[in-house]
Amino acid sequence: MNLTSSKILIIVPAFNESGNIGRTITDIRKQNLPVDILVIDDGSVDTTAQEATSTGVKVVSLPFNLGIGAAVQTGFQYALQYGYGIAVQMDGDGQHDASFLVKLLTPILEDRADIVVGSRFIEDSAGFKSSFSRRLGINFFVRLINAFTGLNITDPTSGFRAHNQKVIAAFAQNYPQDFPEPEAIVVARRLGVRVSETAVLMRKREGGQSSIRQLKGLYYMVKVTFAICLHMIRSPESR
Amino acid sequence: MNIHLLAIILSSLMFLLVVDLVRRHKLTFKYALAWLLVSASGVFFAVFHKFLFKMAGFLGFELPSNFIFFTLFCIFVFLSLVMTVFLCQQNNRNDTMAQKIALLEFEIKQLKRKSSN
Repeated sequence: MNLTSSKILIIVPAFNESGNIGRTITDIRKQNLPVDILVIDDGSVDTTAQEATSTGVKVVSLPFNLGIGAAVQTGFQYALQYGYGIAVQMDGDGQHDASFLVKLLTPILEDRADIVVGSRFIEDSAGFKSSFSRRLGINFFVRLINAFTGLNITDPTSGFRAHNQKVIAAFAQNYPQDFPEPEAIVVARRLGVRVSETAVLMRKREGGQSSIRQLKGLYYMVKVTFAICLHMIRSPESR
Repeated sequence: MNIHLLAIILSSLMFLLVVDLVRRHKLTFKYALAWLLVSASGVFFAVFHKFLFKMAGFLGFELPSNFIFFTLFCIFVFLSLVMTVFLCQQNNRNDTMAQKIALLEFEIKQLKRKSSN
């Protein structure tokens, strides 16, 4: 597979990202890649949907806020329905740098992986790495997920990822809803999917509110740990 | 008032309430069955309270009241678990429907745009 022959969809989940969503789309378009952009407006109460529509991209608006997991899953359902070979998840808050898209897509195009996660922590670089306390939390999940899956993941909370057709079909049917990023890696592994990482730089959020920052850190960690443990006893196929 | 009579009246009222809810389609068969069984056994034990005392003794409860509280506690824990399962199921269905609606709405908009061009 190569970039021009494969049908690629960029899924951008967005909840109240007016001001950011337009910039994210411009950022993707600047790369001049043969990709379709799909914004999933997760029941925003601001002008996110209008802003995205005015740029000419496809916009699917959820009737109410379902959360990031269900929003991204809607993107997978769309990708499956319209026969996309690759689906990339990229946040609508401007945190993810579109210039890394090719790097993220390459392992899938070369059939070396089924999921590629963009990681902030592979190489020592100048990019935004999150606050100290959040990095402590991420480090904990790294150990937990790697112990469960036998993988060597460095950034399980990264929402910048590419998925091939096999994963699109699986995630369209069953995608974790509570803490989708770390959970999806566990689910993927249970499905026997090849997960790999590639180094990316991330920016500090340009606006809006991080859905994680609002939560109390420790409580969040306990919940995610519990959610990940549940996936180990759950059948990975059905919802 | 005689406690025995009160128990019979209250449990009968409960049973009649369940029957009425079923009759008015407020309770579907799936959930009505559990409530009918619970309320019917309530009436049964209120009428034949000696049987209740015997059973409490047989199972080793010092007081029949302890047996009643214990049984009620078990029933409610079980019912609340069943209700939680039901709630999660509804929640999943709700999400799936919202996703389907959003995708269908998108398709309708696309079709409208195509036909107007």
